Amino acid sequence: MMDGPFGNVHSGWLAVSALSCMAAVVPSVAHAEVGARELTEQGRYLAIAGDCGACHTRPEGGKAFAGGYAINSPVGAIYSTNITSSSIAGIGAYSEAQFSRALRKGIRRDGAHLYPAMPYTAYAKLSDADVHALYVYFTQSVPAVDEHPPATRLPFPFNLRVSMSIWNALFLSKARLAADPRRSAEWNRGAYLAEALEHCGACHTPRNALMAEQSGRQFAGTRVGSWYAPNITSDPVSGIGAWSRDEVVQYLKTGAVHGKAQAAGGMAEAVGNSLQYLTPGDLEDLATYLMSVAPIRDQSDSRARDTWGTPVDQETELRGRPTTAGSEQPEGYSLYSGNCASCHQPTGAGTADHSYPALFHNSATGARHADNLVAAILFGVDREVGGRRALMPRFDATSYVQPLKDTEVATLANYVLHEFGNPTAHVTIEDVAAVRSQGFAKWLVQLADGLLIFAGVAIVALGLWMLWRRRRAQP
Amino acid sequence: MNVQRFNNGDADADLVVVGSGVVGALIAEQLAGAQRSVLILEAGPRLDRAQVVENWRNLNFQQRVSSDFQSLYPQSPLATAPLDFPPNGYVLLTGKNGTSFDQGYIRAVGGTTWHWAASCWRHLPVDFQMRTKYGVGRDWPISYSDLEPYYCRAEQAMGVSGPNDPAMQSPAERSQPYPNDMIPWAHGDTRVAEIVNPHGYRSVPIPQGRAVRPWKNRPACCGNNNCQPICPIGAMYNAVHTVQAAEAKGVTVLAESVVYAIDTDMNNRVTAVRWYDRNRQSHRATGRAFVIACNALETPRLLLMAANAQNPNGIANRSDQVGRNLMDHSGFHCTFLASEPLWLGRGPAQSSCLVGARDGAFRSEYSANKIILNNISRVGPATQQALKLGLTGAALRDEIRRRAIHGVDLSISLEPLPAPQNRLTLSRTRHDALGLPCPDINYELDDYVHRGYDAAAQQLRHIGSLFNAVEFEVTTSLNANNHMMGSTIMGSDPKDSVVDGDCRSHDHPNLWLPGGGPMPSASVVNSTLSMAALGLKCADSVRRTLEHA
Repeated sequence: MMDGPFGNVHSGWLAVSALSCMAAVVPSVAHAEVGARELTEQGRYLAIAGDCGACHTRPEGGKAFAGGYAINSPVGAIYSTNITSSSIAGIGAYSEAQFSRALRKGIRRDGAHLYPAMPYTAYAKLSDADVHALYVYFTQSVPAVDEHPPATRLPFPFNLRVSMSIWNALFLSKARLAADPRRSAEWNRGAYLAEALEHCGACHTPRNALMAEQSGRQFAGTRVGSWYAPNITSDPVSGIGAWSRDEVVQYLKTGAVHGKAQAAGGMAEAVGNSLQYLTPGDLEDLATYLMSVAPIRDQSDSRARDTWGTPVDQETELRGRPTTAGSEQPEGYSLYSGNCASCHQPTGAGTADHSYPALFHNSATGARHADNLVAAILFGVDREVGGRRALMPRFDATSYVQPLKDTEVATLANYVLHEFGNPTAHVTIEDVAAVRSQGFAKWLVQLADGLLIFAGVAIVALGLWMLWRRRRAQP
Repeated sequence: MNVQRFNNGDADADLVVVGSGVVGALIAEQLAGAQRSVLILEAGPRLDRAQVVENWRNLNFQQRVSSDFQSLYPQSPLATAPLDFPPNGYVLLTGKNGTSFDQGYIRAVGGTTWHWAASCWRHLPVDFQMRTKYGVGRDWPISYSDLEPYYCRAEQAMGVSGPNDPAMQSPAERSQPYPNDMIPWAHGDTRVAEIVNPHGYRSVPIPQGRAVRPWKNRPACCGNNNCQPICPIGAMYNAVHTVQAAEAKGVTVLAESVVYAIDTDMNNRVTAVRWYDRNRQSHRATGRAFVIACNALETPRLLLMAANAQNPNGIANRSDQVGRNLMDHSGFHCTFLASEPLWLGRGPAQSSCLVGARDGAFRSEYSANKIILNNISRVGPATQQALKLGLTGAALRDEIRRRAIHGVDLSISLEPLPAPQNRLTLSRTRHDALGLPCPDINYELDDYVHRGYDAAAQQLRHIGSLFNAVEFEVTTSLNANNHMMGSTIMGSDPKDSVVDGDCRSHDHPNLWLPGGGPMPSASVVNSTLSMAALGLKCADSVRRTLEHA
């Protein structure tokens, strides 16, 4: 188990369980101490499960939870805040009620609205006990960092934080997640993990025109920026209904299941920052819940995305012909052989230890939406689990290996789809340009953009309406 | 400040760098980081890695086993580089040991780091004081400790993996650990070290510009064993990495731009360089500071061809030392079949090296050496040998296997001393496609190297006996190692040297000539890390000079 930014979580959690047993027999003062420690550990674990560090700890050397991570949106940079126990720069002076209001309603101590890069719609479902544990952890255990991150300064009308109150009134449910008495405790725990903490739906559930999650389409899959968060319902063709429970758990824990899928983009971050640290029990419960989610079939899917393709070998036939890589009209074989085959092998079978995955029986090449294949080529794969980093290099303009043009990526992706994956999928040059232009921003940021634009439009509309009313009111 | 200006095809920048190899790229990136506008002019084209990889895979067997690392790289028709299959005659080699100076280098964005082995050695402290300590060669005007911080920075910039155990370091005088610990040894490296180390040969890990873990955005080395002629996955440091980092900081790189002239003013400050674009149109780049970092052949070639009225013997050449003191590690090979299988060919092309004879009192008499355990797969040579035996079918296959796993190839480097008569001059008869003179090289090794060869050969016979070697062979003709040094030699006296300890020209206060050219001693180790360290030291000098301008 690696010592991540949050320390050795697993053994910490197990230690808590052990302490809980001891607590039953050790009385009075010791009991209180154990209780406090237990509470802090619980809060620490919840902070990981809620993936707070993904935004509130600056990657590459930022102090834990000190904020300052610049989330670049088209309307300006949103900086994550300092949520350490510092009473100057952090949330050390928050009361528990103020903390809860920020977490669940997106409202700061001073009454200002948080930008919706903060997933408070999910955290609204947290239990009071867990909010308490998080409060204790952040205000008593996270070391104070007395440094103010840069202030977020967006242009009008996006700087009108109050506009968020309109959206909140429409879409923010204030309800805690109620336990379903017809379901098992494991299922209910899984639902809580998926809905309140890990906020799976933030990416995997399609949104309506006002950027709210569509209630009847839970986990049906949707575009999230450059990537496609796939259908993870229990449908055996369009979703993950054909996966075994062990495979679901392994995927959540490691981000890789041979012959099925490898996590990249936002999912690689979710596994690396959060999911890998969940206890075995929580992972099982999460899988229980995910496997129970109502199936949603996309009628244009003819077979599961991880069942397409076979090994192919064109080496004997084509080796020795002058390469077309680097020419004006490069062919798929040359691009694949020159850029990909050293790792994924000429046959597409990857390596025996699966460090380099096979390109057939791979959800990135078998999906009808080839966005994840294109995004993986452009932005690579970067996933760190258990202290080991899996890195596929990127091939966009900043590639250290070889920058590829849109036409080259399209030709290469279509070769891979045709030879190893879903031959009914097709990538156009425009598709590649679209994925490239989205960059590699965090999905929540892009979501925030949508909400901000909505809010900005709402404010302007409100202003115009008031102006119109005043004009009419004039004699 | 950070923007170059272009006007009608001409350019202006704070710093103009000629050459986009590791040295030029590092300097450009440093100065761009200091908010200076930087223009890089590169004679060769931008390369497509996939095309080069595929060219290599399509290369015929004969060229592959002959280590043809040049012909797979596309060349600009206006910027010729050496080719041997067949020879293109770009460089004329004369002198008793002319053929031992048959260099392979690349003229392209990223330079020759496209096909190096990424060995990142430091010189020993004593290598900077050859005259003082051993009474031979020259002293550097700077010491090891002057360069040591820059060695550290170069190792960081290139992502070097090296042994953090001081007992395995050469040299152990280090102020910082390596960015990554040593590349783990394969079975062959481990076994050879076990067998030879009790006899003082001191096999140590080679510090390398690659890592077995992802490093920044660079993938982990997975042992394609293909470092030369091309790392197919970009795990090996290549100066294109630094070029891209520089471009991200605002540097402009103009490829296929051949610099041919250097303009100076009445104070002999450089005012501009002139270049031909791919359509043979001439342009001019003005600037405040100029760095020429082509390599130790192309830099003196440019300085000599750019002679002007004020500098009739060539730019930076009042000392008449430009193009002289050429050095390269004279190489030879020792091959044999060991009695036990060593399974060489797994991992990077070179991972361990015998440095026991890297230094010693003997250096007053004869050359030091280093003995690299070449880890390039022996399947090619094994196949050649087995075919010569006339075998077919299963017998052929089994013999190839036997020879591939028992075969050993040791690559030995000897240290030359700087000698003025070993020099590059401009051809009067041969010209490239732009009509610019091709280089002529005269090269002759003295007894210092020949005695070093004899001592090394004796050590090799002993090493062979430790492995119960059969078919033991030591080559007698010396080969080039592509470590060109000395041709713009560094010194404190402007009368007998070209540049000072910052690689700044004695003759022109705003002209720097960093790289292998300034190195006054060759040591026996690959020169790239020293070149990169000198480049970073040069960058500091350029930055200070521009600040005070």
